[in-house]
Amino acid sequence: MSAYFIEKDRRARLASVLLVIALMTIISGLFYHQIIRYKSFLAQSEENRIRIRPIIPKRGVIFDRNKEMIADNRLSFTVSIVPMEMAKEVTLPRLAGLTGADTSAIKQKLNANFISKYIPAAVLRDQDISVISALEENSEHFPGVTYSVESVRRYVEGISAETFIGYIAEVAPDEIDKESQWGYRPGRLIGKKGIEKAYDRELRGIEGTDFIEVSARGQIIGTYGGRERVPAVPGADLVLTIDAALQREIVRFYDSLQSSGGVVALDPTTGEILALASFPGLDPNLFSGVIPDDVWRSIIDDPRHPLLNRPTSSMYPPGSTAKLLTAGAALEKGVLTPETMLRGCGGGMRFGNRVFKCWQEQGHGRLDLYHAVEQSCNVYFYQVGQILGLDAWNEFAVKSGFGRKSGIDISGELSGIAPSRAYYDKAFGQNRWSKLLILNIAIGQGEFIVTPLQLTQFYAGLANGGKVFKPHLLKEIRYPGKAIQKIEPSLSFTLPFANNTISVLSRSLELVVQGDRGTAKGLRNKYYTIAGKTGTAQNPHGKDHSWFVGYAPSNDPKILVCALVENAGHGSEVAAPLAGKIIKRYLLGDSTHNVIAHNVAESLVSE
Amino acid sequence: MTVDYKSLDWKFVLATAGLSLIGILLIYSAHYDSSTGSSLNFYMRQSIWLLLAIILFNAVIHIPVRVIDFIAYPLYGLALLLLALVLVAGETRMGASRWFSLGFMSVSPSDIAKLALIVALSRFFAYTKLPPQSKRRLAFSAMLAFIPALLVMKQPDLGSSLVFVVLLFSLWFWSGLSPAYLILIISPLVSLVAAFHWVTWVIYLVLLIIFMLVLKPGILFGVIVFISNLAFGMITPFIWNHLEDYQKLRVITFLDPGRDPQRAGYQIIQSKIAIGSGGIIGKGYLEGSQSQLKFLPERHTDFVFSVLGEEFGFVGTLTVVLLFGFIFYRGIRIASRCRSKFTSNLVWGALTIIFFQFFVNVGMTFGLMPVTGLPLPFLSYGGTSLLLNWTLIGIIVLADYHRSEY
Ligand SMILES: [Zn+2]
Repeated sequence: MSAYFIEKDRRARLASVLLVIALMTIISGLFYHQIIRYKSFLAQSEENRIRIRPIIPKRGVIFDRNKEMIADNRLSFTVSIVPMEMAKEVTLPRLAGLTGADTSAIKQKLNANFISKYIPAAVLRDQDISVISALEENSEHFPGVTYSVESVRRYVEGISAETFIGYIAEVAPDEIDKESQWGYRPGRLIGKKGIEKAYDRELRGIEGTDFIEVSARGQIIGTYGGRERVPAVPGADLVLTIDAALQREIVRFYDSLQSSGGVVALDPTTGEILALASFPGLDPNLFSGVIPDDVWRSIIDDPRHPLLNRPTSSMYPPGSTAKLLTAGAALEKGVLTPETMLRGCGGGMRFGNRVFKCWQEQGHGRLDLYHAVEQSCNVYFYQVGQILGLDAWNEFAVKSGFGRKSGIDISGELSGIAPSRAYYDKAFGQNRWSKLLILNIAIGQGEFIVTPLQLTQFYAGLANGGKVFKPHLLKEIRYPGKAIQKIEPSLSFTLPFANNTISVLSRSLELVVQGDRGTAKGLRNKYYTIAGKTGTAQNPHGKDHSWFVGYAPSNDPKILVCALVENAGHGSEVAAPLAGKIIKRYLLGDSTHNVIAHNVAESLVSE
Repeated sequence: MTVDYKSLDWKFVLATAGLSLIGILLIYSAHYDSSTGSSLNFYMRQSIWLLLAIILFNAVIHIPVRVIDFIAYPLYGLALLLLALVLVAGETRMGASRWFSLGFMSVSPSDIAKLALIVALSRFFAYTKLPPQSKRRLAFSAMLAFIPALLVMKQPDLGSSLVFVVLLFSLWFWSGLSPAYLILIISPLVSLVAAFHWVTWVIYLVLLIIFMLVLKPGILFGVIVFISNLAFGMITPFIWNHLEDYQKLRVITFLDPGRDPQRAGYQIIQSKIAIGSGGIIGKGYLEGSQSQLKFLPERHTDFVFSVLGEEFGFVGTLTVVLLFGFIFYRGIRIASRCRSKFTSNLVWGALTIIFFQFFVNVGMTFGLMPVTGLPLPFLSYGGTSLLLNWTLIGIIVLADYHRSEY
């Protein structure tokens, strides 16, 4: 056993060797961390203390054509959480308790808006100042909670702004694009509808970046000098073609009707949309804060569909307003002249073994084209339709903009249906449909459905010598730094009608108002002449929809109005008076506000 | 007793003093507030402790060796008594009863017990006539060490209880037990750790058998060693289930620090970042973002070395490691030239305690060792730790002063 005993000196030597090994182990560990992996650890230490804080640019302001501000920004407080610094089981319930929100809702928001554990994720928007001061005073009770001042959209009320401007809300999961220079990151706001959506990139500007130094507890120490701040580029301001004053009056007129429907008003010479309104409307300011679930559900469940943009996204049979298309097509085809007298109307007419009725039971007698339009005789147009035939009708309908989108600069537009042989074959089977379907189409009923915007477009062509300018809402983009991009009118298409045909059609439209038996003779006035057409869209679900589409002054059109009032009956009863008021308001104004209208009115008076 | 100061080992003392001063410098930085330009008063208290420690050191070197010899067992008994008492009447902090509060300071009986065990074991090994590998000798000395170790483990303080066991092994070695024999005796403890991963354990057992076949330690001893290894390995799951949650967490975190970067692993990760980002020359005094911005936890106590690494870089850490190296190297020389077995053992025991704390603490700061809560001698903030370590230095200097006496 003495072999196991070693001398003191040998033990000391062995111990020294072990000591050297131990020290070398430590020194090489330090060498590895401090010299070999220095850069990686330095980067981690920088990441630890430097927070990248986005600078959200000011969203562009929106003006109407007379430079009235209709959308701007107000300041609001957004509460955010830095995931790294929050205390589980503490932060969220306390925050919920303070704000009255739901813990699970906050958690959901946190997950949805999570970018990185160091970057604040917005959880509660538009908070009251009292919440913020409570957070400020008790910050140690809310680990990881920060707040920021953000701007929130504010829209002028009472102009049905939601119809054309739309609204903004938080970026949805499918809209997130973290790589995008446009800043579509979780928790950011994005245009969801209308102008806000269509011109989101122009309005939002480009985010900047701030580098700040923070302590382990997330306290901001100050600006970090090591990297240069990247300033934000503010969003561009937009000037719309909308006339807010007119829009406001339209809302006022419409509110007295207590009906659903829509109005489009445009300048037929440029395609600039002067008014676009849908009823019932929504206050877009609702979406700026946090929209409570029950409010949202009540909007979704409302049978009157307040979110529906009727002028562009709702389709109706055009009713008698379509008779001009039928007439135009027949004139061009040479199967009709303005003087052609067809078989007389006795309140209806038998085609095949079925009687097709006129709206006036006692009948209209024998009429020429002008008077058939003036009195909107169905029997006359049944006959025109029969002579014309479906194929010819469809050719002209499509060339006149029906069954396809107008290309307006906001999304959600529907294309309507201009039925064709192929359409019926598909719907009812090859040749298994009555040839008499054209009779209904000729008077704007049946399968022929249009959006108010398409009808507006067609009449704008009639008002403007056949030229149809693309309907649009944007007039100017005013970039920061004074660069202004003006949106020029662009020709969309030309109606497939010769000048002669167009003048016949417009003269007949004038008769609708000016003629003694005109269906809209109530619009006759001493200042200007209106050319237009009433319409009644048959509605299998209830009372008929009321249409009027017309322009004025008829010899030099300044405005075209298309009014649709749902379930309001005959076009002459509701829609025509409404359109008349709108035209009057635009052309005569309130005599102080609208200088252009004022001038027009004066020149008209002096005639 | 009068002491001739000129013949003391001054280089040894100066190295220790240097480390202590660096410690105060780092403690100042650890709680420095750049907005007020001042630091919390930890550095002031540590300075006062250092003063007291030096006074204590001065007192220790005046103690006659035979007095130490004489009080060895009474001191040991007192230490056991205090350890037992602290379990019942101690002050509880963070779930552990480790301290007695004396109003102006907290006394940790485990520090007193470390000192007492050095003296008791040194005395026992110095005078026993039993040969180094004798079972009675091993058993008695093991009993001396395991009683305080178990009491400390009960507090619970796994780090300190390991110190007692390591001290035992180290003095076994120094008092003549063959390293090979020592390895075999320690082997069951290795089994305890290796058995966390059964493949590792099997490989380890194979290596152990080969080792014994080469060494031929005797049939009976070999069989006992092997059976102990099996037994220790098999009780690992049992022990694991009886560990405190925080102890389990420490083991898991040691094995995989990235696993939970927000909690236990956070300390190690932040410490590595601090040390690594210091580079060659460091970020500069009071300029370390990891410590100044409070990312580094326990930065004036357990992780004071990380503050050094961040602010003074590799140059700083190397300097401190070499200062420790100097102390150990010189300590080994002192231990080997002491003529008296008792003083030689004392020096060896004192060195073991300082070394073990140093190695575990520094290793911990960059992930080589688990987080055990052992402070870095002389540098970490803490009164009793400073007093203990300076007392140990005092014992070494005292032994060296009397090196030619039997
Ligand atoms: Zn008729």
